[in-house]
Amino acid sequence: MRKALTDQERQLVLEVFRLRYWQHRMNEDLKKKKFKIPIHVAIGHEALAAAVSRVMLKEDQLVLTHRNMAYNLARAGTLEEVYAEYQLSPAGAAGGKLGSMNLADRKRGVVYSSSVLGNNIPVACGLALAKQVKRDPGFVIVLTGDGAMEEGPFYEGLVFSKTIRLRMLILVENNDMSMSSTISQRRCDIDVQALCGSVGIPFRALRGNDPFEYLSALRAVRSLALEQETPVCMEAQLGSINQHAGPTPGWPTDPKNISLERGLVVEETDRDPLFVLKQRIGEELFEEFSNQVLSESGSMVS
Amino acid sequence: MATYIVALNQLIVSRLAQIPNMVLYGENINNGSHIVGMTRNLKAENGTRIINVGNCETTHVGVGFGLLLNGVSCILFAKQLDFMLLGLEHFVNTYNFIRAHREAGSLGSFTICVIVCDQGFQGPQSSFNGLGDICSLARVPGYTATNLKEAEQILRTQMGKPGFRFFALSQRLFQTEILDLELVHAAEDSSLFQYSEGSDASIVCFNFSLPAGHLLRAKLEERGIECSLFSAHQVFPPNWERIKSSVLKTRRLVVLDDSKSANLLAHTLLSEVVREIPSVQTIVLTRGSDVEFGVCPDQLQVDADSVIQQLESGIAVERQVR
Repeated sequence: MRKALTDQERQLVLEVFRLRYWQHRMNEDLKKKKFKIPIHVAIGHEALAAAVSRVMLKEDQLVLTHRNMAYNLARAGTLEEVYAEYQLSPAGAAGGKLGSMNLADRKRGVVYSSSVLGNNIPVACGLALAKQVKRDPGFVIVLTGDGAMEEGPFYEGLVFSKTIRLRMLILVENNDMSMSSTISQRRCDIDVQALCGSVGIPFRALRGNDPFEYLSALRAVRSLALEQETPVCMEAQLGSINQHAGPTPGWPTDPKNISLERGLVVEETDRDPLFVLKQRIGEELFEEFSNQVLSESGSMVS
Repeated sequence: MATYIVALNQLIVSRLAQIPNMVLYGENINNGSHIVGMTRNLKAENGTRIINVGNCETTHVGVGFGLLLNGVSCILFAKQLDFMLLGLEHFVNTYNFIRAHREAGSLGSFTICVIVCDQGFQGPQSSFNGLGDICSLARVPGYTATNLKEAEQILRTQMGKPGFRFFALSQRLFQTEILDLELVHAAEDSSLFQYSEGSDASIVCFNFSLPAGHLLRAKLEERGIECSLFSAHQVFPPNWERIKSSVLKTRRLVVLDDSKSANLLAHTLLSEVVREIPSVQTIVLTRGSDVEFGVCPDQLQVDADSVIQQLESGIAVERQVR
């Protein structure tokens, strides 16, 4: 018999459900071509995004990539402000000034988002150095990916952050995809753990899209970074179960095949955090959460 | 009078002593030659931290913008302008992100103090001198240090100011005695300086050509041709009203620019002046299209006699018309 969820666990599960539901809604409008700007849906990133948002304290800062939708939604706790930003409205999370790929919501700790692969790691190093010189508490989390880590600044950032003893987490989202190319289609394998080990940076792997495990691992990493004044690197295996950004020739999945009418789960594999949750919490509870989220208007109740 | 590099180093050190809680960083910033003397005697006082860093210029530039985003003021010292090409992406993209939504007052200050290797004989890969190219691509301000008073004002008004800018030194001038010219006018934003007022010709110098422009003015004055001498910097949008007022009076514009770029701010000035002021005699002294890419003396050649001849004939024609 499954153990009942605690209140905190329920909140985390609800967050993952909401992130999926809101992204479905964005995807439906993307299909209807309601946006002028390129939008990168991040269906499949919800467990990690919810866990990252949960682990952040007020003093922490988050630095994102162009595929930042799930993280910005998690930090905002509402669909409206992110949606309004995508409509370039003054009511948007950044006043309609930053759009999608560069959306940063400073009041919620999202300081910088970059549409240029590898660009955000040096900036994150600067943010963490600023914390160090000002003796500000907290740490900096910077998202990157299996494509961005091919860029020189990834390696430079490892060396720089370790040398200066910066309190930061370099979090690699490995979705085995850069535009339309898988890793094997474009490069040799990179052993991130060995690479980090070569410069003395602690490394942790994340697998399976379980938000509870992710949150626990991230809390441990946050403590490690703060106590040992060190950068830490994590690599999360996940899937981006949608197109690159709207219709993209050659992209293996088409958002037209992803439909809210088919329910919240998109893929019945462990690439889909909603499917993982369904296995973990059971059909009955899954239906309960689904019904709750589907009945909400778009704002986070909690 | 001190040499150019000694004077510039002293100006930088004394200006930095007035700004607390800075991060000063760069390769060899506190080792060896201290970047050819540029960073000698920097002090880690008043909360200022000096960080000697490894060879990763892209990261250095991104770090500066991260510090700026979190309200910290910093200076990146760099040995060669061409190294900054590795940071070009941040000048354009990262700073655009910042400028798109943040008020300048909420930011720290980020200045790059960089040496331009324009001394000649540097070889094909170390002689990039087009500060204006980087500034133009990113629409960021860039100031060249050509003389004492101008450098002092630029450092006083720009270093420590919220936002980003370049401050560039010319290695060709390092061992020369620093110019100390009497200022007639200095724009508040340090975009334009004027050193003399004359009624016969207006000389405008870009990049590091002011010493050459100063010599040219002296030779012209020996021939009785009185000149207004200007030094213009890469500030966008430029305000050239003072230059245009001068040209309206002199009807003669001599433009000097020693940058090897094919895209010069000097050309923008010329087109504006020609469009707005009819019948202006213009003399353009730039590197031209035959820039050598190999090892060479690599300098702007100013043929003063030719300029004198052109101006004198222009003046003679004007007197005949009168």
